[in-house]
Amino acid sequence: MEFENRTPDEHVNYSTEHPLKEFAWLLGGLMVALVALSFLVGAFAGEVASWLPYRYEAAVAEQVDMQLKGNAPDAPNEPAAPGEPTPAAIRKALDRIAQPLAAHMRLPEGMQIKVHYNNSEMVNAFATLGGNIVIMRGLIEAVPDENTLAMVIAHEIAHAAERHPVKHLGRAVGIGIVLSVVSAEAARTAAATATNLAATGTLLTFSRQQEREADTIGLDALVKQYGHAGGATALFPLLEASHPPEHRARLTILSTHPHAADRVTELNTLVAARGWQADGMRIPLSPTLAALQQRARKR
Amino acid sequence: MEILYFALDYFELVLFLVLLSIGFFVGRILEQKHFKSIRQRERESKNILVFAARFPPNLAQPQDCTLVCGQVVISSDYFKQFVAGLRSLVGGRFRGYESLFDRARREAVLRMKDEARNKGYKMIVNVRFETTSLTGGRQGALPSFEVVAYGTAVRPR
Repeated sequence: MEFENRTPDEHVNYSTEHPLKEFAWLLGGLMVALVALSFLVGAFAGEVASWLPYRYEAAVAEQVDMQLKGNAPDAPNEPAAPGEPTPAAIRKALDRIAQPLAAHMRLPEGMQIKVHYNNSEMVNAFATLGGNIVIMRGLIEAVPDENTLAMVIAHEIAHAAERHPVKHLGRAVGIGIVLSVVSAEAARTAAATATNLAATGTLLTFSRQQEREADTIGLDALVKQYGHAGGATALFPLLEASHPPEHRARLTILSTHPHAADRVTELNTLVAARGWQADGMRIPLSPTLAALQQRARKR
Repeated sequence: MEILYFALDYFELVLFLVLLSIGFFVGRILEQKHFKSIRQRERESKNILVFAARFPPNLAQPQDCTLVCGQVVISSDYFKQFVAGLRSLVGGRFRGYESLFDRARREAVLRMKDEARNKGYKMIVNVRFETTSLTGGRQGALPSFEVVAYGTAVRPR
């Protein structure tokens, strides 16, 4: 009897396909799936977050509130320069503008507007979780009168009242959960940065639709408080001027804020449609805020 | 300089990509080299017959017999492991591990044949395979495993 062992067939037990082909398919598929899932979860989580009663938001907001108080440069109650009003005094002056405006809006149950002051050169203000509103020094220094400042504050209160920040945070956390499929580290980072960014306002870019809503509601409160719409559009030229021209072109494309000129037109149309008085007596800034402005002019 | 800063900023990502390409290029070169060597040695050791049957074909003839054994410990590479990680999301053939196991199994048989040849045998019967995972179920560890081929080498007395 004759026996022989034949050499094994090379194409049965393993694939001769190039490994990069499989790699590309799997990685590409995963990316597409993640992007699609992020969009879905993002859209959905944002909506779900805004349906939750305010008291659930309050728990997260407490951290944000503490971070705003702890990290803000105004934490020790001393003036930034000698002769300036103290941060507490500035906060109080801002609060005196904000609270009557908030009274004209329908805030979610349990929400209280808390105004913070940030000693930053930026001409900016933002609203974040828990009815917290941050006004920056640069903004106070740029406004010509209280009415203009009130419009900005009213706009930010409207964001808080409409719960835009929590919609935004809900999306960020939802996307973080999707990322956790790939890496637990990425998910942790996403969740941690979401609360972090909520406190600094960096990630809180609202949609154009939300900005329009805030404009409309803010204007309504402004008119109810001051009796006319004066100052509502005064800030936009200032904002435009504070950005250099080459920066401005990019801002129009990238920024989620509707173009300043569009907003001015929309606000004016609204004023005309509602039959409001377009302008009236402007109220000068309170002595505390005026003192802050004078210091800036001297510099 | 800017490349250096980028590398530092995204250190984890850069490290991952470096490991992935090392795994791919080195792993692929080594695998092709190994396959080449396996094929050559399989041709060379054709004269040693291997049977899965329990008894030699000519049972009437009294036989000298001894246990022969070939053992291989082999490890996956970073690239194969990463692709397997992606694959485990959707399921299907672990192509990278298939070639890895094929190499391990054939290498084990060759080593077993080597032992038989060294002892002066030309036939091995009752050949069996065993495999053990060295990594066990540990998370994140690079899969490595042992393949043992063993059988009874026989020669007419």
